[in-house]
Amino acid sequence: MAKMLVLHAAKCTGCQSCELACSFEHEGIFRPDASRIHVYKWEAESFSVPMMCQQCRDAACVTVCTPHALTRDPVTGLVGLSEDKCIGCKMCVQACPFGGAIWDEISSRIMKCDTCGGDPACARICPTGAIEWVDDVAAVRERKRGFAEKFKEAFSE
Amino acid sequence: MKVRYFALLRDITGCKEEEWTRPADTVGGLIHDLVARYGSSFERWVMKDGKIWDLVMILVNGRDVRQMSGFETPLKPDDTIVIFPPVGGG
Amino acid sequence: MYAWQGKVLRVDLTRGTFSTEPLRTDWAKTYVGARGLGTKYMYEEVDPTVDPLSPENKMIMLSGPLTATFAPCGGRYEVVTKGPLTGAIAAANSGGAFGPELKFAGYDAIIFEGKAEKPVYLWIKDDKVEIRDAGALWGKNVPETTDALREVTDPDARVACIGPAGEKLSLIASIMNDHHRAAGRSGVGAVMGAKNLKAVVVKGSGAVQVADQKGFYEACLAAREKIKAHPVGGTGLRMYGTNVLTNILNEVGGYPTNNFQTGTFANADAVGGETVADKQLERPRGCYGCVISCGRGTKVTNPKYAGEGEGPEYESAWGFGGDCGVDDIDAVTKANYICNELGLDTISMGSTIACAMELYEKGCFTKEDTGGIDLSFGNAEAMVEITRLTGLVEGFGKELAQGSYRMAEKYGHPELSMSVKKQEIPAYDPRAVQGIGLNYATANCGAAHVRGYTISPEVLGVPVKVDKDDIESKPGLVKTFQDLTATIDSSGACLFTTFGIGADEYAAMMTTATGTTYSTDDIMTCGDRIFTLERLWNLKAGLTKADDTLPPRLLNEALTEGNSKGAVSHLDQMLPAYYELRGWDADGVPTPAKLEELGIQA
Repeated sequence: MAKMLVLHAAKCTGCQSCELACSFEHEGIFRPDASRIHVYKWEAESFSVPMMCQQCRDAACVTVCTPHALTRDPVTGLVGLSEDKCIGCKMCVQACPFGGAIWDEISSRIMKCDTCGGDPACARICPTGAIEWVDDVAAVRERKRGFAEKFKEAFSE
Repeated sequence: MKVRYFALLRDITGCKEEEWTRPADTVGGLIHDLVARYGSSFERWVMKDGKIWDLVMILVNGRDVRQMSGFETPLKPDDTIVIFPPVGGG
Repeated sequence: MYAWQGKVLRVDLTRGTFSTEPLRTDWAKTYVGARGLGTKYMYEEVDPTVDPLSPENKMIMLSGPLTATFAPCGGRYEVVTKGPLTGAIAAANSGGAFGPELKFAGYDAIIFEGKAEKPVYLWIKDDKVEIRDAGALWGKNVPETTDALREVTDPDARVACIGPAGEKLSLIASIMNDHHRAAGRSGVGAVMGAKNLKAVVVKGSGAVQVADQKGFYEACLAAREKIKAHPVGGTGLRMYGTNVLTNILNEVGGYPTNNFQTGTFANADAVGGETVADKQLERPRGCYGCVISCGRGTKVTNPKYAGEGEGPEYESAWGFGGDCGVDDIDAVTKANYICNELGLDTISMGSTIACAMELYEKGCFTKEDTGGIDLSFGNAEAMVEITRLTGLVEGFGKELAQGSYRMAEKYGHPELSMSVKKQEIPAYDPRAVQGIGLNYATANCGAAHVRGYTISPEVLGVPVKVDKDDIESKPGLVKTFQDLTATIDSSGACLFTTFGIGADEYAAMMTTATGTTYSTDDIMTCGDRIFTLERLWNLKAGLTKADDTLPPRLLNEALTEGNSKGAVSHLDQMLPAYYELRGWDADGVPTPAKLEELGIQA
């Protein structure tokens, strides 16, 4: 069974701890631009959503990656990046509809979520459980249950 | 005696205040009765290691039991008891 | 350089120039950052007798060494200047994400000097700094200004700005950042207004580095876990926000009502945190790096007071609620939104309205003077309307815009201003809770609860319960809380972390972050040093022992109802022991021996 990162935007408080954890885990410094996850905030409405690589099965970034630096591991289901093969053409940045592939100007390289090797720091650190690292089957069930509850509320009156 | 609840305890008891008729001689006795009535979710917010949590604020007629006799503070039938689970702010 | 960025931006608004300079690292190590370091710069560079609204006053925005790091709740920054409300050193602390952004842009501090000829804003993108024309923004409120500036700079930029209140030099004007966060107290917004500085806009792409990566990560993780595990820091504040205190203070008889005429409010529950959670709360919000999430994303649907925003915090809900005798939470939250939009300090605003209501009921002014507003206690509509007028500094709002002391003095009753050093007292009656009164009287920025939050032990019992009525124990308690707070404020982390961690955890985080060893004792000594330097500044500014007092009502008029009935503040019995503990003489002047001990050259 594979695992996936699940986002619960309603639980996100906009604290950006995930960005700090991600950049520190990967780079040893605190630099949000070097984080693979970013929180988008609507201050006026007090709302925020964390955004990151979705590890697509049919990944646009993999398709456009000419040097095959981006590949999908069929076992884990994760899209991996071999930095030594990357030529920095940024086609993945262009192709990804979620903004999951990031070009970092300062270190002059592509950055993307590697799930910290199977124990993502963002999920570990999120203080409210807005980001979870769970079995994909469980994640889907959880989503369904959430929606089923709405049905229940609507029709059980 | 009158018992009033705040914060989470309102969700757990389903009320803001109630008239508690079962006699309890002490604060400890009352809390045990309330735990028996409202169960583990209530217990979780007022008890720690089998004793009343020292972060729980219980006032008897406006006086904090932590400055009286704590668990042993005596109660009379016409007392008002106020219970706050551990909360704070600033 | 670790934890600090090692760089200060100095902006001369008069000449329209700027320069960068190395951070005084010797000062940073001993005064930490933010509040402490800002005070040190002020002490070295600005004559304390300066007119706060003159170009000679400086305004410094600073982050701390833990800002923008993994430290729990490390999202704070400080505005340090001479406060126009108080004439004392002002250190207004705010969260959000502005402070971290400033640090990512590479600066520990921005020092503003002089006065721009015309309205300007400062745009900082890393090394690129521009002083730009703000003529088109002048008169705009906080959300309008914030949104307009993001459009012309960067959509992800962080904005700190003033609203109309600051522009028109209201002495209770705040500086707002990230829409809803306030560097609220002492009138810092008026200093920005007097400098013709509408806003500071920052976008940073740099890094913050720490000395011991592994050690720092572990120290922060341990601290985060302790806060999350604490029932207050981890659960209570997220569920109910700070406003859960309304019922608590009311139950102990220390909820100041009708301008401190009583300590209990019949319908307090209607403006408490439980009611907000029921009626208005959309979701909890957190500042940068926050693990607590006390912020309230709220919405008011009642058409009369409709709006959306953040708040109210306890102090705000009290100021517009019980202190004005108002029990309509929708009106209270609306008044809070108006303050955020127009740039006003909610505590001073609420208390100034309460003072105006008492003056009005005593006949010091009439409906004709107020422009038809019936300022009777309990009038929710009037409370909201006068808040709006004060924020715009229009009509009778001009009177309130000066704060309660100046207003009450003008109408012949300065004693009815519930203030210390002309700054309005927050939401805990010092008659019902003795220690907090001593803290109000001695806080260097004027009355403030967040300089020594003894409510925690005195009422809540965190970390341990202390008798709120006892006076013997209070001088030591107040000093300890004030010292630890001074260091936490200066570190760039949030004071609320003390619902879970203390000096030990700060020593570990500061040491591993900076590479300089701070023992637990050092953390407390830094606080003592910062607090004492603030005191020295105030003495040089002309404040004296006579200013370390409370309004006569709180010293002489016993509470007449509620669960603290009969109580008065025994400040006079606590103050001498407090001075002695601080190493100050009988007049409240730090002794040469104390200064030497702390390494302060006066």
